[in-house]
Amino acid sequence: MKNDLLWVEKYRPKKIEDIVGNEEAKDTFVEWLKGKRKTKKAVLLYGPPGVGKTALANAAAKEFGYTIIEMNASDTRSEKAVNEIAKPATSYLALDTFTAESKGNLLFLDEVDGIAGNEDRGGVSAIIEIVEKARAPVIMAANDPNIDKLRPLKKVCLLIRFHQIRIPLLIVLLQKICLQEHVKADFEALEHIAQNSRGDVRSAINDLQSLSEENHGLTLQDTMTLTSRNKDISMDETLRGFFSVKSVEEASSLLFRSSVDYDEFIMSVSDNLPRRYTNPDELAVAYDFVSKADLFRGRIGTEHWHLLKYFFNALSEAAAVAPESYKPFELISPPIRIITLFWTKGKRTMLDNICGKIGSQYHVSHSIAKHEFIPFLKIILEKQKTSPLISSLELTPEEADFLIKMNRY
Amino acid sequence: MAVNEEALMWVEKYRPKNLNEVVDLRDVVTSLKAFMKNPKIMPHLMFAGIPGTGKTTLALCIAHELFGPNWKNFTLELNASDERGIDTVRERVKDFSRYSRSGFGNVPFALIILDECDQMTGPAQTALRRIMETSSRTSRFILICNQSSKIIEPIQSRCAIFRFSRLDKQAMKEQLQCIAKKENVKLLPEAAERIVEFSEGDLRHAINALQTASAYKQGEVDEKTVSLVIGEASPMQVQKMIRKALFGDFIEARKTMYEIMGSYGFSGTEIIRQLLREIFKMSDLTPEQKAELSNMIGEYDFRLTQGANSDIQLSALLAQFGKFGKAVGETY
Repeated sequence: MKNDLLWVEKYRPKKIEDIVGNEEAKDTFVEWLKGKRKTKKAVLLYGPPGVGKTALANAAAKEFGYTIIEMNASDTRSEKAVNEIAKPATSYLALDTFTAESKGNLLFLDEVDGIAGNEDRGGVSAIIEIVEKARAPVIMAANDPNIDKLRPLKKVCLLIRFHQIRIPLLIVLLQKICLQEHVKADFEALEHIAQNSRGDVRSAINDLQSLSEENHGLTLQDTMTLTSRNKDISMDETLRGFFSVKSVEEASSLLFRSSVDYDEFIMSVSDNLPRRYTNPDELAVAYDFVSKADLFRGRIGTEHWHLLKYFFNALSEAAAVAPESYKPFELISPPIRIITLFWTKGKRTMLDNICGKIGSQYHVSHSIAKHEFIPFLKIILEKQKTSPLISSLELTPEEADFLIKMNRY
Repeated sequence: MAVNEEALMWVEKYRPKNLNEVVDLRDVVTSLKAFMKNPKIMPHLMFAGIPGTGKTTLALCIAHELFGPNWKNFTLELNASDERGIDTVRERVKDFSRYSRSGFGNVPFALIILDECDQMTGPAQTALRRIMETSSRTSRFILICNQSSKIIEPIQSRCAIFRFSRLDKQAMKEQLQCIAKKENVKLLPEAAERIVEFSEGDLRHAINALQTASAYKQGEVDEKTVSLVIGEASPMQVQKMIRKALFGDFIEARKTMYEIMGSYGFSGTEIIRQLLREIFKMSDLTPEQKAELSNMIGEYDFRLTQGANSDIQLSALLAQFGKFGKAVGETY
């Protein structure tokens, strides 16, 4: 081995200014740390892997003289574990508080999105409790902040978003390393490494190191051997791969490799299916499989996870109904359902309120009010805008107006 | 709540207050009258039957007859499809039997009317059975449902079951004429015929249709207006969704489906129910085609109850419609 140290370690940023890119995020973070956390007690740094979240926490601790106490997803984060390790770290100021160099502890929770269901039960609420009680700064890092379980954390945290590192910045960094390591590399080679990493500094440096161990001068040709990094396959990639498979086997192996959320995935498949199968016959067959997959999802519920393979198998069948008809198409995302339900929430609430009023006066359920009364009531109000029914039902002017203007079922 | 009776919708305004005012349903009324003479012997009751046949009305009549004008103090009305979960029901029943005096005059109990019981899940019904047992000294239940078969055996066996069938057409017509007269509306016989035919034995539907039709033209309701109301009040969006799906425009059909779900908050089951009703109304389909579509709908109605996500099952059904529509198109 040419080097006895991994370059990612060797070139790990020592100071905040050494971290490449994400200037805005870094400024916000430093402001928060310097401002004695007046706004929020904790920060959540989120963004794709390898863009400097952990590096920032470490560099900042060093620069501002904190002792960093770190937990990450590989530690079990049950309520008990969180309490045992994290609480002492935050609620008591460490002894070295009084020495000149150190201001005390800084708690760093890495990969908080790794908090898994049952195993880490109570982990999130314990973290919130810590944040609320903490005297020391709490820094959290996550790749995907949109996971339901972490939603409560958002309330107590300042969210700082990290973006992928832009390719030119990444190339400059790689060039610097090459200079230090006496590697002669073509610009195109570095460019290819940078692009291939998708803005992930860690993987770009790793690639550079592994390639330059085999080759003395690095050309574009050498970098062609780079295989796409074996990272978690994202939703978009999984969908794209899923719809272009040639066989059921291919689809099912893709599904087993991917780590997408099943419920989101089947919804996205459903959203995109008519774009994939434009022939009604193919669409019907494919949808029948998706429907069966959903049946298995229903049976799995929250405990029968051994049935997951049947869910996958049915979905895989849906992917390979007619491989020959595949044409690339633009994916629909985010899910249609979410958009529709979001925009129409106000309408539904209004309608529900009206149904509630009808229900209590006419001795019927909301459902019957909606089906058996609303259509008639709407017409009556259209014809008689000042109908005495408005006051007898205690409808507000807005509600009456809503009924008149709403679309017919 | 003091509501001006005059300003109510007619279904409520003309809802019978005592058993003598009830039209049709002679057998049921006769049995119930016997209980009214001696309330001590009244068991728990179960009213089963299709919508709009007077189940809730009779339950309210009983409350009136037993407790008089202050019936609301001794009666708890719950709707199983609105009350979320059996725990809510249990709490409310418990509170009610604690605060209401157990009985009034010679009536040694308070009344609990639980509507749409067949919407309750099995476990919820089991819990309900317990509630019925523990509160049986102080309360009587009237359970109302569309299908008694959806109610678990132990509950059925604790109740006297009364079945409500479709109301007699002649009786319905008479009732409509009677209401029209009181409202000073001239209801032409053909118009009455059309309403009754359209309502399929559902008196609530019929009265609502009559009131709506009378809003079109003061003082007279003719057949043309009734047809107009029926057209206006039928689920247009569902029809649009069906047509789009059958003509192979799946994406538009699904968009309409999301509109229906989103804007009106209809559940998958509600949409499927309407879908079936609309399919049978479509005049351009042969009986064989309707039967085939009905089979499809039935299959997906079942899957809807078993699956995890009603959007997916409904979308899948629309896709089957597309295939069906294509096949029909090709045979012409």
